Amino acid sequence: MTPTLIRGARILDPANDRDEVGDILITDGVIEGVASDIRAPAGTNTIDATGLCLAPGLIDLRVKTGEPGEEQRETIATASAAAVAGGITTMAIMPDTNPVIDDVALVEFIARRGAAQGKNRICPIGALTRGLAGDAMAELGLMREAGALYFSNGENSIANAGTMKRILTYAASVDATVAVRPLDGALAGSGVMNAGALAAKMGLSGVGHDAEIIAGQRDILLAENAGATLLLDQVSTPELLSDIEAAKDRGANIRCTVAAHHLFFGEADVGDYLTYCKVSPPFRSERARLALLDAVTRGAVCAVVSAHDPQPPEEKRLPFEEASFGAAGLETLLPAMVTLSHEGHFDLLQAIRLLTSGPADLFSLPQGRLTVGAPADLALFDPNKVWECDRDALISRSTNSPFDGRTLRGQVTHTMVAGEWVYKRA
Amino acid sequence: MPATDDLHEFPHRHLLGIDGLSSKDINLLLDLAEDYADITRKAKRPDAALAGKVVVNLFFENSTRTQSSFEIAAKRLGADVINMPVAASSVKKGETLIDTAVTLNAMRPDALVIRHSASGGVKLLSRKVDCAVINAGDGTHEHPTQALLDVLTIRRNMGKLKGLTVVICGDIAHSRVARSTTLALTALGAKVRLVAPKTLMPKGTESWGADQATGDFDAALEGADVVMMLRLQLERMDGAYLPSRREYFRFYGLTADRLCLAKENALVMHPGPMNRGIEIESAIADGDQSVITEQVEMGVAVREAVLHVLAGRAS
Repeated sequence: MTPTLIRGARILDPANDRDEVGDILITDGVIEGVASDIRAPAGTNTIDATGLCLAPGLIDLRVKTGEPGEEQRETIATASAAAVAGGITTMAIMPDTNPVIDDVALVEFIARRGAAQGKNRICPIGALTRGLAGDAMAELGLMREAGALYFSNGENSIANAGTMKRILTYAASVDATVAVRPLDGALAGSGVMNAGALAAKMGLSGVGHDAEIIAGQRDILLAENAGATLLLDQVSTPELLSDIEAAKDRGANIRCTVAAHHLFFGEADVGDYLTYCKVSPPFRSERARLALLDAVTRGAVCAVVSAHDPQPPEEKRLPFEEASFGAAGLETLLPAMVTLSHEGHFDLLQAIRLLTSGPADLFSLPQGRLTVGAPADLALFDPNKVWECDRDALISRSTNSPFDGRTLRGQVTHTMVAGEWVYKRA
Repeated sequence: MPATDDLHEFPHRHLLGIDGLSSKDINLLLDLAEDYADITRKAKRPDAALAGKVVVNLFFENSTRTQSSFEIAAKRLGADVINMPVAASSVKKGETLIDTAVTLNAMRPDALVIRHSASGGVKLLSRKVDCAVINAGDGTHEHPTQALLDVLTIRRNMGKLKGLTVVICGDIAHSRVARSTTLALTALGAKVRLVAPKTLMPKGTESWGADQATGDFDAALEGADVVMMLRLQLERMDGAYLPSRREYFRFYGLTADRLCLAKENALVMHPGPMNRGIEIESAIADGDQSVITEQVEMGVAVREAVLHVLAGRAS
């Protein structure tokens, strides 16, 4: 493979606390050197990246596709194409498909499809319980051996605390990370947006913070007692984030992710019953959003995810209460974080950390860093590019993006996976 | 015929558990059992130590193996054995456990062999009767004759117990065998490593004397002299405590490859009945290192010894 030299980029490498202009040399799919000035060996492809930022390729821990079973929403191939346009070089695929990924053969299927059809690295997430029914635990140990990155119960918490306790206890013995969406189903009820004055005014039923906090607190306690590693998925309330921080301070293996759209949008964005802003958990109040951003800034969150959930028009062009939850997010993950960084919530290096080494370190992945010898998974982006998100221009098969019509800053120009360019913006 | 002077050295009226027995008590029973094993092997005439005595098998929980073993042991000693089918009789008619005990006591048996599904159930009965009570398994608490036959089998094969490392793998949490056998082994100076997925490992196993409690079977096997596999209740396999049989076998099944991690010629044991292909590979269960059938043989010998010591006393 011909070596590649990228020159003059602003190198953002949070794993090594590096934010400086320099060169990076890639040979045989791995990073060969990072320095202020690298002399290109003969026969090297050289790229001048002056004015661009160079970051490790993004790692997105929460991506849904419709494959298998609902390919009209998204396939692994279409999700992967959208992902690399967003600088995402590794993505974990949620198990809530049809059939549910709750078996070794299905984990292998996702991995195989990913390797054959994907432009980036694709890691299957195994189902925590068979059929995601929240009842009988799935083969966590065997699926982990087959390559499942972690285990999730999809959009639902495990309702039965005794079941959850046994699953966490078992997961601890096979060294499996358990991820849950903290959501008490009974409290959430049929809520479709954040509970509060706006929901009342709009005549919509709401989901309060309590539905998330109670489910999250329960699972923190159970995981801590079991010695399990728990990943609380898409936390949207500052109260639960404080509890997670406290648990971490006690030495418990409790981690969490936040979806980029929860940092960007508030309940007011639901505005005129905009179904593209119907997500679960719902966009919260402005006060909660700012508190969430504050928690991210002080390091309470390990990773920011896209929570990419492709929903075709027939699922979204419906009255708000009937429309499905979910937002497309692969192509707007990096721009959303860069935009928030421009707004002053955190610096660019920290934004990149939450998208690269943060998620990588949760699972001891070698990528997500620009260390010599690490896989050459890279994203080049223009941090100052101002652009308007047009959903019709999105690559994802479903374009249900709440960012549609929004002005964003920062745009990916090139993406490399294992030393190969997999995306170049036209 | 074994020396019967031993009878009066055993300072307990019942055998309710290993807990509370000294190493001297245990050795007394093992020595006597070994004598009985030899007598049986040499096809000598049955010893009539319990001639004229009545032994009642009172099994509130069905167990063909253990009940037969006690029955054969008692008959070899010349006792009359009554099997009370309690699972299908008075208890079904609503008689309380205590009433059953009082009724039986009035019939003046010499020994009651009791199995009950509740931990502590046998002890409760023992308080209400005048004869010797032998615990044939109470809930998830103790199964002392199983422990004695396990240690006797090991002692016969290894020549000693002190300093041996015994791995016990399986459903430790719900196993009365694991408790009793661990207590017996540690009382006699062996080291015990308990292995189970965390869902089947109770907290506080150090109070049984176990050296180690781990989920890593492979690591625990290193340097093991004995590998004892426990029976898994299949209803626990279906997603509640464990994901599936095949996942259990992958991580906790005893295979030929795994057995190589233990010491060369390590003993393979199982209290039976086995789930072949779930906790143990057939080739290993039937292999050269297996002493599983010898365990069954020692079961009768141990029960002879226990009945002899407890029921053979002058009333």
